Amino acid sequence: MTIPQPLDQPGRRADWWRAIWPAVLTFTLGIGLWEGVVGFFALPLYLLPAPSQILLTFLAQPGYLLSIGAVTFGNAFAGCVLGCGLGVLTAIICVRWPIIAEGLVPLAVAASAVPIIALSPLMSLWLGSISPASKIAVVAVMTFFPTLVSVYKGLISPRADALQLMHSYAAAQRAIFLKLRVPAALPFFFNALRVCTTLSMIGAVVAEFFGGPQNALGVYIKSQAGVLRTREAWSAILVACLYGLAFYVVVVLIERVVMPWNKHR
Amino acid sequence: MSIVPIIEFDRVSKIYPSGSGPITALHEVSLRIAAGEFIALIGPSGCGKTTLMRLIGDLEQPSAGTVRVKAKSPDQARRDRDYGIVFQSPVLYAWRTICKNVELPLELMGYPRQQRHERAMSLLRLVGLGDFSQAYPHQLSGGMQQRAAIARALSFAPSILLMDEPFGALDEITRERLQLELLSIWAESDPRPTVIFVTHSIPEAVFLADRVVVLSPRPGRVQRIIEVNLPRPRAFETREDPRFFTLLTEVRECLRAMEG
Repeated sequence: MTIPQPLDQPGRRADWWRAIWPAVLTFTLGIGLWEGVVGFFALPLYLLPAPSQILLTFLAQPGYLLSIGAVTFGNAFAGCVLGCGLGVLTAIICVRWPIIAEGLVPLAVAASAVPIIALSPLMSLWLGSISPASKIAVVAVMTFFPTLVSVYKGLISPRADALQLMHSYAAAQRAIFLKLRVPAALPFFFNALRVCTTLSMIGAVVAEFFGGPQNALGVYIKSQAGVLRTREAWSAILVACLYGLAFYVVVVLIERVVMPWNKHR
Repeated sequence: MSIVPIIEFDRVSKIYPSGSGPITALHEVSLRIAAGEFIALIGPSGCGKTTLMRLIGDLEQPSAGTVRVKAKSPDQARRDRDYGIVFQSPVLYAWRTICKNVELPLELMGYPRQQRHERAMSLLRLVGLGDFSQAYPHQLSGGMQQRAAIARALSFAPSILLMDEPFGALDEITRERLQLELLSIWAESDPRPTVIFVTHSIPEAVFLADRVVVLSPRPGRVQRIIEVNLPRPRAFETREDPRFFTLLTEVRECLRAMEG
């Protein structure tokens, strides 16, 4: 018999460490290798700075870099909320009216595989290259399709017998939706959301390559790289990574709270 | 039968369309089941025994003939919450604890929180899962999950229990234990629900039922109805009773006669 495990048992910390040490080791080795290669071949600074130099550059002006990161992250976040929100809404509409799903879902699947980032210059043209609207729009479009496809799949995932069970209780459509389809779709939603956190950061940074206010990560990276200030560009990339990671981790934490039944899997 | 039947089939046929022409799953089945009876439906695979059960439960509609449940249509009986259904797989919702799964029908029927929790807990204790009420389904074994499914079906004291090979996926030992548990729960219920139990196991049918309805292969018809006159309460020893073996042979020969 499997007995449900209490949440805080001795050894849980050890398990956690066992789970992450290979990744920690790989990361450390990777950084060490990078540092070593740059030192050994005495690579010029403008080509590839060592990780230590990137870190020092970041530490020279962390406030500034984090603040321009916040601008970019703000766009990423707004676009992600908009895109994912509309994706969820559209998925619900698709489940309610299957005829719409038949027309829309195959297109959405195709669109998920298309590099929507290519729309960036056009969005700048339509919504203004400096305004955040064009960045938010790129991110929203990027995150909309995968969310729609995933959440739709999740909402229609309950098997026939799970639905028949509801039918046998004479459950109302509303109850079937709220007590069966929505919880069944939650894992699908969070999978999509995790992908979207990364997508949205990429989208926001790349969209800024095509124009934006001076105090934004993408613009900063592009202008610094353009004048061979590679260390500065890398330190901004580091900031983009930090924001992207933080966004991802927050989503994972929310996921754990919202779906406690998934914890022991 | 002198008493008014709770379930009545009147020349019921069920025809499925298929690529190679229509398939007659059931052909002019007439059957009367009394309130509180334990009926086992048995027959070779594809004989329509599950279809017969599903017609009662309003999970399918007859192509011809009528099914009446408590003098109502199956649709009306379903709306009146007359059915507790147990499928072959437990169909527990992964995101609900065992207790919350058992509470599900009560929740849908608008019982107050406190009452449904107490009811679910007493049923879980009845099926031996009192200590596992806060576990999630994937943390339990197949047999325990099926017990929870039975508790859920009984939670709102439905007058008819429809069971579609509920122990089919379990090992023999668990299966025999659950058969006994089911009988004792059924016997203790007041009033006793009418049970329609679909199985392809001859010993299971004979051990559980008051009457074993033997269906013929496609098109499914009622081949024979065998009365099981074994005394109740049935126990482990029932399986060693000579009358048990006589009945097994009777059912087996009835099934074999149809093959030839």
